[in-house]
Amino acid sequence: MTATATTARTGWLTDVRATPATLAQWWVLTVRLIVPSVKTGEIITAIAAPLTFTASFYIPLNRVMSFAGLGFSSYAQFMAPIVILQACAFTGVSAAFRAATDAVSGLDRRFDAMPMHPIVPAAARMSSNVFRLLIGLVAGVIGTYVVGFRFAGSFAHTVGFLVLGLLIGINFCLGADAIGTYTRSPEATTQMLVLPPLILGMLSTGLAPAHQFPHWVQGFVRNQPVSQFAEALRALGGDPGGHAHPVTWSLMMPTVLWIVGTIAVSCYFIARQNLKRS
Amino acid sequence: MATLAHPEATDTLLFGEGSAPALLRHTWIQTQRLLTRWVRDPVTLLETLVVPCLLLLMLDIVVGSQIEKFSGHSALYGSTPMVTLVGALSGTVASGVMLGREREAGILARFWVLPVHRASGLAARIIAEGIRIFAGTVVIICFGMAIGFRFRRGPWQALAFLGIPVLFGLAFATMVTAIAVFTAKAALVEAVALLSSLLMFFSTGFVPLAAYPKWIQPVVEHQPMSVAVDTMRALAAGGPVAGPLIKTIVWSLGLIIVFAVPAAYGYRRASRA
Repeated sequence: MTATATTARTGWLTDVRATPATLAQWWVLTVRLIVPSVKTGEIITAIAAPLTFTASFYIPLNRVMSFAGLGFSSYAQFMAPIVILQACAFTGVSAAFRAATDAVSGLDRRFDAMPMHPIVPAAARMSSNVFRLLIGLVAGVIGTYVVGFRFAGSFAHTVGFLVLGLLIGINFCLGADAIGTYTRSPEATTQMLVLPPLILGMLSTGLAPAHQFPHWVQGFVRNQPVSQFAEALRALGGDPGGHAHPVTWSLMMPTVLWIVGTIAVSCYFIARQNLKRS
Repeated sequence: MATLAHPEATDTLLFGEGSAPALLRHTWIQTQRLLTRWVRDPVTLLETLVVPCLLLLMLDIVVGSQIEKFSGHSALYGSTPMVTLVGALSGTVASGVMLGREREAGILARFWVLPVHRASGLAARIIAEGIRIFAGTVVIICFGMAIGFRFRRGPWQALAFLGIPVLFGLAFATMVTAIAVFTAKAALVEAVALLSSLLMFFSTGFVPLAAYPKWIQPVVEHQPMSVAVDTMRALAAGGPVAGPLIKTIVWSLGLIIVFAVPAAYGYRRASRA
């Protein structure tokens, strides 16, 4: 009614704009990403990946690693954090793939031309990533639980373990989304992002304690972010034999700083890529 | 794309497009085309040459000393062969993706309507794949030798050693081609990446057989990557060769026989689409 009245007053060059229902748009775009992945069964990879990581690390390495002594009550307890981290990295790679596909297929440009807040498409991708992360986290915890991992800390620590895992995953996905949008090439992005988790994951304290590495590389192994994440998760997960490090601020601070820092950088690039009209 | 130095208009008149000289010549041109694309694509080059070397270095740093303490042997004689095989596999996936994109871009269909020998496309792909895997293997072996891997047997054994990844890779390439000409989705990359990492983690090249739990040892011992690793380990460090070599040949020929017909049929169909 009002629209017709205004049109009548000002002709075709109306100053009436559509009023975007930002929340509803975000929800519609989120469902666009989640429903097809459930329908085609693609979501199964989010469940299969953590289970594959658990089996691939635990079965071959259990004897080789326990043989020399870890200072932990079991190898399952020791390696649970790296399974969670690899699951997060795996979700990150598929997040980058999705962002690159949206960018190269012209969908981003099309959304730019539509009456919606420019950050909505990226926000919808991120919420579908969170959905996958939650599935991956649950699958990871169940997988490691089967081989012998147990939450041995207090209830608050257990919640902290899950929240920290989720935060690290969101952190990876934000960075991956920015990279995928930037490269606009799904295949190249996927291949490029396989390398960092491989190197950082293996060269961290996730699979073996720092003192088992050659001397020249120990400094890097101890201080790189994946090791810090693994140590933080390990402290929160606790150890039934009481061998875990206590949860202290000095132990958690590097992790918190890494997460805050990288999230800030990723958000800056995502904002820069999405808030400009192309 | 490679072009002839002296194009002769009479070429296809002298030899029909279906004749043997045409097959040789067209295959060679297309092989050059594929190899040139490989060498000029930095991502594929990185994936097939640098990543395997880094993987070998990581394996040596992270689990090498543990395995040496556990089994008393250098882990490099297992991990170097394994990494050459993993490199062959990941290269296969990259060229599978490339094949899918060429199909979608219509290049295959375009060759089909030109006076090009029908078999040269597929033959060139097989030869290019073999050359690429061989080159990758040589690079990885050089890197392995830099960190302590040695051929302790003779030069003939070393030559046979280099042949195993080519055989293994060609068998896998047949499988990937058969899948890639029918589907060109990212699912192919993810599925083969998952399969090759499972093959790697559950092979005798990753950790010694004795380190695996009893119930899974038979699977680990006889899966294709383990038997190839065992053959290569025996060829480099010594030990019985015949048993694992026969198993490797059986696995490879088996894969080729099962997937050759779907691959050839799918390639033909993709070319005409």
